Amino acid sequence: MWLFLLRRCGLAVLIVMLAVSALYLMIHAIPGDPASIILGPRATDEMKAALYIKMGLDQPVYVQLASFFANILQGDLGYDVFSQRDVTDIVLEQLPWTLALIFASVFWAALVGIPLGCYSALHANTWFDTLTGIVSVGTIAIPSFVVAIYSLLVFSVTLQWLPAIGAGEQGDLLSQLEHLILPAFAVGLGWVGYISRLVRASMLEVMGSNHIRTAKAFGLPSRWITFRYALRLAILPTVTLLGVGIGYLLSASLFAEIVFARPGIGKLIFDAVSTRNYPVVMGSVLVTTGLFVIATTLADFINALLDPRIRAGR
Amino acid sequence: MTHNTTQVKGQAEQDNIITVNNLGVQFEVAGGRVSGLKDVSVNVPRGQIVGVVGESGSGKSTLIYTLTQLMADNAIVASGTAKMDGADLLTKSPREMQALLGDDIAMVFQDPMTTLNPVFSIEKQMTDIQYRLDIPYQEKRQRAIDALDRVGIPNPELRLPRFPHEFSGGQLQRISIAMALMARPKVLIADEPTTALDASLEVQIIELLKELQAEIGCSMIFVSHHLGVVGTLCDYTVVMYHGDVVEQGPTRDVFNRPQHSYTKRLLACDPARIKERSKRLPTMNSDGLEQIEIPAGSYLASQLEQAQPASDTGKQSQPLLDIDELRIRFPMQGKLAALLSGNKDPYLHAVKGVSLTVDRGETLAIVGESGSGKTTVAQAIQGLNEPWSGAIHFQGRDLLSLSARERGKTRRDIAMMFQDPISSLSPRMKISDLITEPLVIHGLPFDSREQEARRLLQIVGLPLHFADRYPHQLSGGQARRVGVARALAQSPKLIVADEPTAGLDVSVQGEILNLLNQLQEDLGIAILIITHNLNIVRHVADRTLIMNMGDIVEQGETETIFADPQHAYTRQLLDANIHADPV
Repeated sequence: MWLFLLRRCGLAVLIVMLAVSALYLMIHAIPGDPASIILGPRATDEMKAALYIKMGLDQPVYVQLASFFANILQGDLGYDVFSQRDVTDIVLEQLPWTLALIFASVFWAALVGIPLGCYSALHANTWFDTLTGIVSVGTIAIPSFVVAIYSLLVFSVTLQWLPAIGAGEQGDLLSQLEHLILPAFAVGLGWVGYISRLVRASMLEVMGSNHIRTAKAFGLPSRWITFRYALRLAILPTVTLLGVGIGYLLSASLFAEIVFARPGIGKLIFDAVSTRNYPVVMGSVLVTTGLFVIATTLADFINALLDPRIRAGR
Repeated sequence: MTHNTTQVKGQAEQDNIITVNNLGVQFEVAGGRVSGLKDVSVNVPRGQIVGVVGESGSGKSTLIYTLTQLMADNAIVASGTAKMDGADLLTKSPREMQALLGDDIAMVFQDPMTTLNPVFSIEKQMTDIQYRLDIPYQEKRQRAIDALDRVGIPNPELRLPRFPHEFSGGQLQRISIAMALMARPKVLIADEPTTALDASLEVQIIELLKELQAEIGCSMIFVSHHLGVVGTLCDYTVVMYHGDVVEQGPTRDVFNRPQHSYTKRLLACDPARIKERSKRLPTMNSDGLEQIEIPAGSYLASQLEQAQPASDTGKQSQPLLDIDELRIRFPMQGKLAALLSGNKDPYLHAVKGVSLTVDRGETLAIVGESGSGKTTVAQAIQGLNEPWSGAIHFQGRDLLSLSARERGKTRRDIAMMFQDPISSLSPRMKISDLITEPLVIHGLPFDSREQEARRLLQIVGLPLHFADRYPHQLSGGQARRVGVARALAQSPKLIVADEPTAGLDVSVQGEILNLLNQLQEDLGIAILIITHNLNIVRHVADRTLIMNMGDIVEQGETETIFADPQHAYTRQLLDANIHADPV
């Protein structure tokens, strides 16, 4: 188990480093000169050159990359010349909003999707199963920003039940929760479908396996068989999906953040890319990549805890 | 069913724990119902062992799963009763049945590797099934340890917290038996409990079941397609065919004085009971001597015309396949981990210096138990693993030194029949595409895929409409035939057949072997059979090679080895081979 943990963590660090390096190189390939954008059309060549040196852009790319990694190790993600602030501060300011949105979305999606999938599998090919099948595929197919816009129209504009935009009053937890409901609904809806379909499929497979027949042949109570014996195995692919899903949503929540005018990492990256604000792009992408890798690694650990065969490294 | 009643009369006064009367079971399928069991009447006497034999699809599994209400959802009991101690099992509610299972009735299943839950320790599974007992956990745990000890698991206390994947197949079957034993059942139902095991393990498991049955004093229903096992173990034998009981009675009577023609033929085609060595084995429908016609126009027929008579090709100085000092090892640890732990030899040595030759038109059998390295050798011939040292010469060319592209060309002449016939076929391809695929891969001439497929189906004796079927619609025997067709399509010089008859009943086994043998005679194909079934080796192999733990322990003419085994291990294998008639 320890060897598995160690190997998996080492791999995670390597992935983050590779991803960040690739991104650094890619950003430099995008046309557009940050200095001219920052300083505006009337900037002289001297002013541009001075800014270049200040931002470290006069150095060769590999030197820039090396110093970037050296700074990260000290917890320093760089300095944003636009707002004259540390990138670390900017990212940490935005991150909680995104994390709250993601966890709320995934949490309700799993809470509804897993039981729905189980129920469908245990009542396979009934009208309920067919109905959830159609609804699930429907929710997967609708893009989350469409759900966002329509739910905004229905619940905020027409019914006026919930606030439309923003993330809530500072320091007012109730208001913040109220503002979280619609975005979380919009982001999570598609995942309900994903999760219920996946749980249904793996549950059906597990319920048909020989060891479930053995459990039945020893007269174990049927609830026991379903929820302790079968679900333990059927949940494995879902854990992996959730790990990848959380990582994916770090940037995919952008749509919800734009529609509901919420602060968040997705919006931060979007704005920074449009203004060629390299330090902010790098800093926020590094953090999201790191969180992505942490989420998937965590999913692997949970799977290893649930399944001894994975621990054995097979 | 007149013969049933007359046969049963002898035991009618006996105390029966289970009486099945006129049981009919049907399956609901698309477009109607098919019959699973027709009017089956069987008695299980208290404290006795009843063997149920029959080929696959004969309804023997349907019988026991109907009794325990573990049938698939599409099964319907159409008629009859099945009483245990006077109460009808068939009309019990799921809750009543659940109370009975794991208490009065316990079961042991066929495939030990999949019958236990892979994510729970043996400890959890063995204590969970004692949920009815109102005793402290430590006591349940102790009962589990005692049961494991009883079935011969060494260090049961240490092994108990382990997971199923940390045990071998034989050990897992012992654990399954231990679980059934803990229930102290009145009836133990065993569904092909030794089919997935090696011959010597089979003997041990049979012995164990027999001992435990006597110890607990329970009745046992033992389902098997292995006549020898039923003959040795069971007091009564029930013969099933096409959902019907064709004969039942005391085992000695059934085996020595079979009444029904089906039983007579079934016994006649058991290779273990055929004293004379014969390359053609009798089957249910024939004496095995008729010729299979190779349809004109097929690729195979065109090769047949070119084939030289066997007498010319047989006496060539150079063997077709020549393996010299083959060694294969698999890493057990990463290089770094091995270095850190100071392990100088972090390898599993699967094959330790094996040399063998196969001549044109000859059948060589490699015999050994699982883990002996026999399948690893076969895979090396096909280029499915990377030998560490040694040489494999095929038609004079060293396969290991060839480039990947050159190596691919030699595969045209070497065909493989894989061990598991259904899972080795792509589930999304039609049979016609599967069997003609080798011709396409090797760019061989044929007029149309459709026609070639029909001809191949005809050769292997499958109905022509099978061309449009998919692998999951085949029975084990049919899938084997598809495997033969696929191996034959390219007209190979050598067929490597890995356990070609595993899981088949004696009749279908005979048909498959006869097919291979005739094609060998007609086309001069050499066959390398990898198996642990000594009964078929004795009949079909010209030469036999015995492997144990990656080494060859003995090789020679098949008849010599069977008549006068030199090595202790060979003698052990021959002794473990169940072929005895009931005593």
